[in-house]
This record gives sequence, structure tokens and C-alpha cells, in this order.
Amino acid sequence: MTEGNSIPALAIEGLRAGYGRGGDIVRGIDLRQDPETILAVIGPNGSGKSSFVKTLAGLLDVRGGSVRVTGHDVTHEAPASRVSAGLAYVPQEANVFANLTIGENFKLATEFLRGRAGVGPEQRERVLALFPELAGRFRARAGDLSGGQRQMLAFASALLANPEVLLLDEPSAGLSPKIVDQTMEAVLRVREAGVTVLLVEQNVTAALRIADEAVVLVAGQLSLRARAADLRAADLGELFFAKVV
Amino acid sequence: MVAQLFLNGLVTGLLLALPALALTLVFGVLKFANFAVGAMLTLGAYAAWVANTQLGLSLPASAAVAATTVALTGILSDQLVFERLKNRDSISLLVASMGLSLVLENICRFFLGNASRSFDVPISRPMRWEGLRINQEQITTALTVCVCLVLVHLLLRHSPLGRAMRAVADNPSLAATRGVDRRLIARLTWALVGALIGLAGVLAGLDRSIDPQIGWNYQIPIFAAAILGGLGSPVGAVVGALVIGLAEEMSALIIPTNYRQIVSFTVILVLLLFRSNGLLSAKAVRK
Repeated sequence: MTEGNSIPALAIEGLRAGYGRGGDIVRGIDLRQDPETILAVIGPNGSGKSSFVKTLAGLLDVRGGSVRVTGHDVTHEAPASRVSAGLAYVPQEANVFANLTIGENFKLATEFLRGRAGVGPEQRERVLALFPELAGRFRARAGDLSGGQRQMLAFASALLANPEVLLLDEPSAGLSPKIVDQTMEAVLRVREAGVTVLLVEQNVTAALRIADEAVVLVAGQLSLRARAADLRAADLGELFFAKVV
Repeated sequence: MVAQLFLNGLVTGLLLALPALALTLVFGVLKFANFAVGAMLTLGAYAAWVANTQLGLSLPASAAVAATTVALTGILSDQLVFERLKNRDSISLLVASMGLSLVLENICRFFLGNASRSFDVPISRPMRWEGLRINQEQITTALTVCVCLVLVHLLLRHSPLGRAMRAVADNPSLAATRGVDRRLIARLTWALVGALIGLAGVLAGLDRSIDPQIGWNYQIPIFAAAILGGLGSPVGAVVGALVIGLAEEMSALIIPTNYRQIVSFTVILVLLLFRSNGLLSAKAVRK
């Protein structure tokens, strides 16, 4: 959390990105995240949170700056190469292959990845220990699972690649409050398993409850970084709607 | 007579199954309706005819030539046309496939003329069983298509390539984060689709004379079959093909055979009015 001498799990410098020929949506973000922490990225609608995390995942072209995962530069790597470098991503919605079974989702999680260490039966056992609700249901179609179960499958599929950093884009989207709690518990279990989590979340209360630190993103720029516990009392409304130059 | 029409319809449906499956695979993975399916079938029939009658190859060897030729044509079409338009909407790709259809058909016409051709195969007497007349060509068609359908099923359900194809069809950006190369999968899909249509061209050439319009005779029934089954659903395409084949043949009981294509048009019309997702696609593709 504090910037020490150790190699950060995720190091972002001057990151800029946007769509097509339009202007920048991500407008120069600098960020360092220590290993085995949960960092919540919060902000108002349209602030560029999802674009930011998509840029980190390699789904949006980088226009400037750099992204490093445990010291390895992945700025211009393809999405799959980033996963091989230890950066896994769970999209906001449509984050499992709905027409495939749980077993097929598991197979697809790693069978086309090249050069990632620690991927195999042992990692699969570790992941199933984290998400026991998926064990024994490999023939069930992912599209037939409940919203919460789908999130568990999405997390599990991403973790099968044995990532250093897990990017989560609004895992609470569309879930009932009870399922949101279960999902956030699962995020905590993931962190306890030694994975660094960058959590983009619209549900600020839920995100701050589990995060170690939080950053506020407004109009594609970071406007605040603080310990999550300290942010609870802060006036987020003013931050969210503050004018950014 | 009803039993004979049923048998003929079953074989016609099986013949339609391969190109209907090819059409639905392209729609599922590449997200557009390939209007060139008929012209690719024509190309397959001519490739086999050249191999069989000009090069003196046996029919199975000629079928392999046809499958390879159309598979390579599919890959080349992807490289030259469809890959360049991958970010356009499905209508642009559909129109491009119409252009490809005209190009392929006229290449056949330019080099091989408009005359009707047929394979150099010995004429065999039809088998008789329980009053049914079963041609050697019908047995060849049924066996070939059944073997192909089993192989495609195994490929799609139990191989890494099949999983990758279904993953790209389901969620291309998630597939990219899993290391699935969309471009490679697109080319392999075209190769598979081309091989299936090429073989269908050979079977069509056994069923009727080969001319530059042979693919057009199947175009509407192929689309009707794929739409009936639900575009994007491989099982649906096969079921749709069997239903269309049977309906077209059985329609001979009530309308003159010259008008049997009206059955396919009617199926498309009814589906568009009442169930535009087809019979089997709603759950499989849209969820």
C-alpha cells in the first residue's frame, strides 16, 4: 500500500487510452499497488473506470504510458500474453462462456495460454478449494447458473491461470445484496490466497468494506487515494462531482 | 409412394445438412450469413468434376480435391475480404459474401462453360427393399453426411479447436483474454466450412447435373434449414435440413414438383413472422 522498495504487483505510469479517433478516456493515470492487497477503484458513472480496467487487460489500445506486472512490462502485449504475465481479468458482464459447461470453461481458462508457470492440476485443486460450490458440477451449463454462481465461475476461471494480479470489473453488477456480500467474501478469499486484486466497483459501500485502499477516478484521472477505512467518512459526493481540469 | 418420398426427403435433407451446418458455423463464429454458400457448393462440384473426368481420379479422391479446393478458397476469401471487414456490421459482410458469390460462380462459368456436366461413375441399378427404390448415390450421400456430422460433432464438443470455436462464437473478447487467437480460429472455421461445402458439392453433383447454377438450386433450402434450426445452432441446422428435405419431397403429394422450392420460402416467411430465432437457437445462442 505504501510505496516501498519491493517490486509492486501492479505499476502504472502516465496511462492514456481511448476509443477509435475520439479523445482520451483514460487521461494519464499513475498508480502502484503492493502485492496481496485489494485496491478499490471507485468513481461516478462515465468516469472511465471500465475503460481503465479494459486498458489494463489489453482490450483497449494504450496511447501513452506504461503498465508493469511484478516488474514485467506488458504495455503493448496482447490480452492473452498479459494473462501469461500474471494479469488476469474478469469482465463486468458476460464473464463466462454461457453456452459451455463449467468443465469446458475450466479447460478454456488455461489450454491456450503459453508460458505461465504454476498452471495445472494443483492450481485447479487450489481454486476448487476456494470455490467448493463449483466442484462436482462440471457438466452444468454456465448459462444455467445463478448470477452469483456465474461470478464464482468467472473468478475461478481467471484464477486457474495462477495470476499475480486479478482485475475485477464491477463484480456486484446486477446481483442482489445477499449475493453481493457473498461475492465480496469471495474476493477476500482470493486476496488471502495471495493474489493482488484491483477492484473496479460502482457499489462503493461494498467495495470499501473489503478494500485495503481506494482510489477515486473522475473524468479519467485519479482525484484521491486513501486507506479504505478513512474514506468511509470522506465526502465522496464532492469528490465524485468535483470539476477536474 | 409416401414411404419412397419420405426416404428421398431424408436423403435430400442429409445433403442439405452439410452446407446448412457450414452456414450456421460461419454465422456463429464470424457473425454474418454467408451468401456465397451456394457458389462455394458450385465450386466444389466443379473441382471434383475436373479431378474426376480430366485428371482421372476416383470419386473419393475427387471429393478430397473438392473439399481441399473449397477449404483453401474459404481461407483465401477470409484473408482477402472478410478479415479486412471484420469491424464492419454483419450487413456489410453479407453484401461482401454476395460479391464473392458472383465472383466464384463466374470463375466456374469462365473456365468451364455453361454446359451441364456429370461425374464419370459407373451406372448402377437401384436396390429394391420392401418396395422402396434406393439408389447407390443415396447410400453414398447418407453415409458420407452421417460420417461428417459425427466428425464435426466430435470436433466441436471434444477438441480444443471446437471449444475455441464455440468460445469465440459465445464471447470473442473473453476468448481473447483466454489466449484464443480469433484470426486463427476464423481461418480454421473457413477451412472446416469450405471442406463441408466442397463435399456437399460432390454429393449434389451425384444427385443432379453440374452447371454454374447448381449451387443456386440449394441456396434457398440451405438458408431455410439454417434459419429453421436457428442460425448459430449446429444441431438446429441439421434438424432444420432434415425437416426442409422431408417437407420439400413430401410436398409432391399436394403440389407439382416444379414448385417445391415454395416450401422453403414458406418456412422462411412463417419463421420470420412467428419465431425469428428459429426452433433451437433461442436458448443456445441468445442467453
